[in-house]
Amino acid sequence: MTPLWSLLFPFAGALAVLLLPARAAALSRVIALAASLGTTIAAASGCLKRLGDTASPVWSLDLEWIPQLGSRFHLAADGLALPLLLLNGIVAIAGVLFSWNITQRPRAFFSLVLAIIGGVSGVFLSRDAFLMFVFYEIVIVPKYLLIVAWGSTNREYGAMKLTMYSIGASALILLGLAAAYAASGSAGFDIAGLAAAGFPKGFQLWAFPVLFLGFVVLAGIWPFHTWAPTGHVAAPTAASMLLAGVVMKLGAYGALCVAMPLFPDGFAFWRPAIAVLAVAGILHGAFTALTRRDLKFVIGYSSVSHMGFILLGMAAATHWGLRGAVLQMISHGIIAGLLFGIAGRVIYERTHTRDLDALQRFNLWKSLPAAAVAFTLASAASMGLPGFSGFVAEVSVLIGLWESYPWLVPLVALGILITGAFTLRALCRTCFPDAAASLAIPVRMPSLTWPETTAIVLLLAVSLAIGLHPSPWISLINDGLDSPVFQPILQRP
Amino acid sequence: MTLLFLTLFPLVGALCLGLSRNVACGRAATAWSAATLVVAALLVRPGMSWSLAWLPDVGMTLRFEADGLSWLFLLLTAVVTLVAVAASWLTGRNDRGYHALVLVLQSALFGVFTARHFIPWFLCWEMTLIPAFLLIRLWGGPAAPQAAMRFFMMTLGGSVFLLVGFLALQLSAGTMDFDSLAALAGEGRLVDALEHGFAATGADGRTLLVLIAVAVLIGIAVKIPIVPFHTWLPSAYAEAPSPVTMLLTGLLSKMGVFALLWIFLPVFAEVLPVFATPLAWLAVATVILGALAALAQTDLKRMLAYSSVNHLGYCVLAVAAAGAAGSARPAMTSAMAGTVLQAINHGIIATALFLGITILEHRSRGRRHIGNFGGLRARMPVFCGCLGIAVFASLGLPGLSGFIGEFLIFNGAFSAVPAATSVCVAGLLLTAVFLLRMMRMVFWGPLKPACATWPDLTKPERALFAVLILLILLPGVWPQMLLHHANPVVLELIDLLRPIP
Amino acid sequence: MFQSLLPESVLVLTALILLGLAVSKRVGAVGAQRVAAAGTLVALALMLRGGGAEPGGTGLILADPLAHLAKSVLLVVGFLALLLPIAPKETEHPGEYHALLLFALTGLMLATGTEHLLMLFISLELGSLSLYLLAGFPRTPRAAEASLKYFLFGAVSAAFLWFGLSLLYGFSGGAMLLDVAARLQSAPDAALAFAGLAMVLAGLAFKLAAAPFHAWAPDVYQGAPATTVALVAAASKVAALVVLLRILITGFDALAGSAAWGAMISGSSMWLAALAAVSMIYGNLLALVQRSVRRLLAYSAIANAGYLLVGLSTNHPSAQAAALTYAVIYSIATLGALAVTAAVERDHGDDSRNAFDGLVHRSPLLAVALLVCLASLAGLPPLAGFTGKFVLFTQSLAAVPSHGLVWLVAIAVVTSAVSLRYYLVIVKHAFAGKPESHIEFKKITFEQGLAVALPALALVVLGLFPSWLLEPVTRVISQLAAR
Repeated sequence: MTPLWSLLFPFAGALAVLLLPARAAALSRVIALAASLGTTIAAASGCLKRLGDTASPVWSLDLEWIPQLGSRFHLAADGLALPLLLLNGIVAIAGVLFSWNITQRPRAFFSLVLAIIGGVSGVFLSRDAFLMFVFYEIVIVPKYLLIVAWGSTNREYGAMKLTMYSIGASALILLGLAAAYAASGSAGFDIAGLAAAGFPKGFQLWAFPVLFLGFVVLAGIWPFHTWAPTGHVAAPTAASMLLAGVVMKLGAYGALCVAMPLFPDGFAFWRPAIAVLAVAGILHGAFTALTRRDLKFVIGYSSVSHMGFILLGMAAATHWGLRGAVLQMISHGIIAGLLFGIAGRVIYERTHTRDLDALQRFNLWKSLPAAAVAFTLASAASMGLPGFSGFVAEVSVLIGLWESYPWLVPLVALGILITGAFTLRALCRTCFPDAAASLAIPVRMPSLTWPETTAIVLLLAVSLAIGLHPSPWISLINDGLDSPVFQPILQRP
Repeated sequence: MTLLFLTLFPLVGALCLGLSRNVACGRAATAWSAATLVVAALLVRPGMSWSLAWLPDVGMTLRFEADGLSWLFLLLTAVVTLVAVAASWLTGRNDRGYHALVLVLQSALFGVFTARHFIPWFLCWEMTLIPAFLLIRLWGGPAAPQAAMRFFMMTLGGSVFLLVGFLALQLSAGTMDFDSLAALAGEGRLVDALEHGFAATGADGRTLLVLIAVAVLIGIAVKIPIVPFHTWLPSAYAEAPSPVTMLLTGLLSKMGVFALLWIFLPVFAEVLPVFATPLAWLAVATVILGALAALAQTDLKRMLAYSSVNHLGYCVLAVAAAGAAGSARPAMTSAMAGTVLQAINHGIIATALFLGITILEHRSRGRRHIGNFGGLRARMPVFCGCLGIAVFASLGLPGLSGFIGEFLIFNGAFSAVPAATSVCVAGLLLTAVFLLRMMRMVFWGPLKPACATWPDLTKPERALFAVLILLILLPGVWPQMLLHHANPVVLELIDLLRPIP
Repeated sequence: MFQSLLPESVLVLTALILLGLAVSKRVGAVGAQRVAAAGTLVALALMLRGGGAEPGGTGLILADPLAHLAKSVLLVVGFLALLLPIAPKETEHPGEYHALLLFALTGLMLATGTEHLLMLFISLELGSLSLYLLAGFPRTPRAAEASLKYFLFGAVSAAFLWFGLSLLYGFSGGAMLLDVAARLQSAPDAALAFAGLAMVLAGLAFKLAAAPFHAWAPDVYQGAPATTVALVAAASKVAALVVLLRILITGFDALAGSAAWGAMISGSSMWLAALAAVSMIYGNLLALVQRSVRRLLAYSAIANAGYLLVGLSTNHPSAQAAALTYAVIYSIATLGALAVTAAVERDHGDDSRNAFDGLVHRSPLLAVALLVCLASLAGLPPLAGFTGKFVLFTQSLAAVPSHGLVWLVAIAVVTSAVSLRYYLVIVKHAFAGKPESHIEFKKITFEQGLAVALPALALVVLGLFPSWLLEPVTRVISQLAAR
């Protein structure tokens, strides 16, 4: 099974779900699960094949598309795309499982979810900047509709804000790509080709921030991050999982694989600014999470904080830093998916509140111990405790930071500490409240259903697997970073 | 592999407990930790090791190895956990979550005492955090939430320092393997490596190493704790359920001592002389302030908590002395062997003391104020005898285990840091004062009416005390049984610190 | 020559038949509509069967590839417009109404196929006059206001155009665009030519609904019958753009000037860039606050006129081709959106955003088509509007050396991003709103289904395979430029 299937499965699934007759609507979740599984299997087999044989050229597909624009339908699955595809598949499976009981228009819901998954796969696979941008934008409308039609708290505002930020960022990307196209003499949109074009430095100085900012707004860069918490809070569970889990990664991926290789000189100039913004994001996200009362807000801001590590790794731009950034993309995808799944589905469906103070009354540790255990482990993963994937990623980023900007290390260390604090705060309020705050008699709640348990175990297992045995993932990422497009940006201390 | 088996053994037990329903958890956990003790004592032998390639491309290998010293600490872990679990069970705690968490904690401790590479060591170091936090928070006293939070945040803060420091070492020295780092330091090349690695900053390698050492020391100091990083300790020790306090003082603080001895000393050998004097005076502060604070307490648990601070200060003093430039080999050997003995013995003695508190709490339904007790000698003679032995061991009566460690420490430290050592000896007196005061208040005097109906120790409780007292008496009269295992490692360490010309 | 006028002849013939039927009062609204649609289809078939155009032609009636392409597009647009429902209040004189529609279409078609200044004016005014009448067809105050405004502003713009053309005639001494071009070779900076060009541009900007010549648009869009609005929005815009392209490429290549930042040279490019910037900003900002969907589409039309002018202000064939491509795509999307709006209006009686509430529940087809059309207008993939805008902006940026046009493209890109907001609001009403229960919904007819489904389908197909449209347009424009 080639990685192409990880692109075809979701879109085919979306179409199949849409075409289901109304009376077979219940089948839609099965189809969605099958499509996500297919995506995962295709990605996993791609990963395994690549691991077994890194010498041969990567899988790729290159078709004529829009000759007037010099754009080709060019897909390739290198060591960076493959693990991210796998992440996409895993988060997709978990997202579908956590949405297993959707009853409101399930066909539309699952087809939109699958459309997002397909778009994400497309971005990871694209090697043509225009094609990547197409897939990048495909995700926007499904996101909006999912939030507006199935969302909760303040959904119209959240959806609109998220969408306007996305489209505004896309405008910058469009501008950046168009500028690169023009400057390269209308040579086309092949990323490697553009990267080899060698743009003049003066041009790179303004084109890089435009393109980079366009991408990283979607990665939640401070101070353009405010869409993320609002959007995550408003979104239905599966959408929050996909949003935080993979869609935010699109921004980081685009910045890493398009903006930086295209304009290495611009990147070199703006690198310190990116590092500072990243650290600001880490600290601001963490401190804000410390003060929020809505559980999903806390997780949303924690995402902002964690995404800061990705940017920081990229700003460090050493081998350690870049590798840590990619690893953090994967790790945060898993962990954010897990947190949103537990908070939005497992806890909210049973308590109908996400307010930390209100949650105290339910005392989940007594009324729903399995959820409390799951949330505790997820929190541990989110804090970056060793053994989970977040630790490996953050350690790599930190080493990269030591290499590039040692003076920022103390601030990041503070960020890690605050991350521990707010995670612990949320954990204590939701699962282990003070005896005084909780109801004397625990509320009886339905225990975890099998889709919930499966999804939680899947995500935790992946996070632990990466944390305890990261070497296969690292090998893949190293393989991806060996690509010639990254050599000009790679700093060698 | 046996080592891996031992490490995972409690974890498997925790998993079984967690997933089972309607089991007598206390009994099952006790049985399981007894089995663990058997595994640790009989199957594991010094010299065993296992490793796993973690990030092969940068040479990060997870390495675990048990030498004689580690083995002693493994045994200590197994014993203290067994006593804690059994004491919990005897005092009627049957939550599966509680026992599962204790077993998870034990597993992490096994890892900490055997890891020979920063990553697995840090993994286990941090793995203790959440179980300990939850144990304090969920089963602790009325102020437990705040205490647990403070414990967690301060320890996490320390860990961040540790992490940042070691990452800097990885970067410049290219390794986080303790033995490799120690070897580098022994050859005096770590300073050069740092200077080279951070050439961009233009900083002096020695300064950098000192900075890193300070970061690592802070991480360790929080755990032991050394004044002024001890502020989490009294409330955490006091609010935790007493069996958990046994784990905290008997084992978790030993993680710090072990790290100080086995990691801090060899890795930062090149800059140790810088630290000797400040560390020695911090030790003095720890000893004296710990003792004075203990004097002022009326809550038994708080008093013993400060007493722990006080006792571990001696270990810090010894380490400071061992690092001092002027100390001779025999003095160093004495100081370091003393540290090992003090750590192990304090683990046992503190466990015995807190077992006493557990029983008092159980009998009085949760009271801990010293004024609630009185004249118990008449009512509970066996208990009085057992606790008395522990108390006298704690204040360092010769013939009991507490003496030998402190003696070796003072013996070794005096030549290197005479002033600090002298002040610490005075601390011994203070220790005696508050411990004896406790004995007097609780066991002597008129019998308080509330205490009149309390039964003496039951058979299982006696058995627990018997084991502990045996472990207090034996090393007291025959310290060789511990030194036999510890000495080779200590000598090895000293060779690292003072290469034989 | 007359063979190339066959499609127009068919349209005129059909119009006459309709008038005859109207006199004898033998035709109802639906009947008249079907006859007109059939006539359009026949004309389209003839157009396409005519295959490639004759390259020559006298200039009075040109049959070059551009004319062929433009006329085909206009016929398609006309056909789609004729699928829209006719409201009862507009059906008092169905025969006359549809005859006028066909006349308007004929006029616009003729305008795209001439280089003769007089012919240009006459055919454009044939189209416009018919449209003024059409706008006032319903006997409502709103329609009357729309018609009057349209007429008044139109008259002024016609005066501009007429004056400009006469200046050009006076300048060049010939009535052909090529004469103007030839004269410009010898007198490159004649004030007369500049004045004439400016006047002509102003006149055409009115047809394009570019700000500040847009004031009629919102009222016409809101008050006129749906089919008329469709012609105004789509056909009139495409025709005006083609005329503009012809004038710029064939006649005034020498007076292009430059709109590059820091290197501005007075000329068509600079003026068009200014118009473009104003239109994009004004249209998009005003669209944000509209509650009536038709008015919103009017402001969106103003904004889109701005995007088209961005491509024209480069004076480079690749960007001009991109602009024409985008005009076609825009027309299709607007037609689809209008078709849905008309369907909603038929049931609700008004076109406010709230009328769209819960559209997805009562007709998923309408809702999905609306989503596709609006998303395309907003420029979201995988729809044609996205590719169209992307190509337009990219080529515009690439057309002017050293990123001179980045200021204008930046405005275009940013305002285009802003536009998503007002389109999305409608989508939100359609997908997440609660339908009003008291309104009875009629089943949508086959024609209506076709009118929404065809544009939506076309947008998806053209989005995935943009080359199918881009390739012929690029070829046609480069042929024109190469002449």
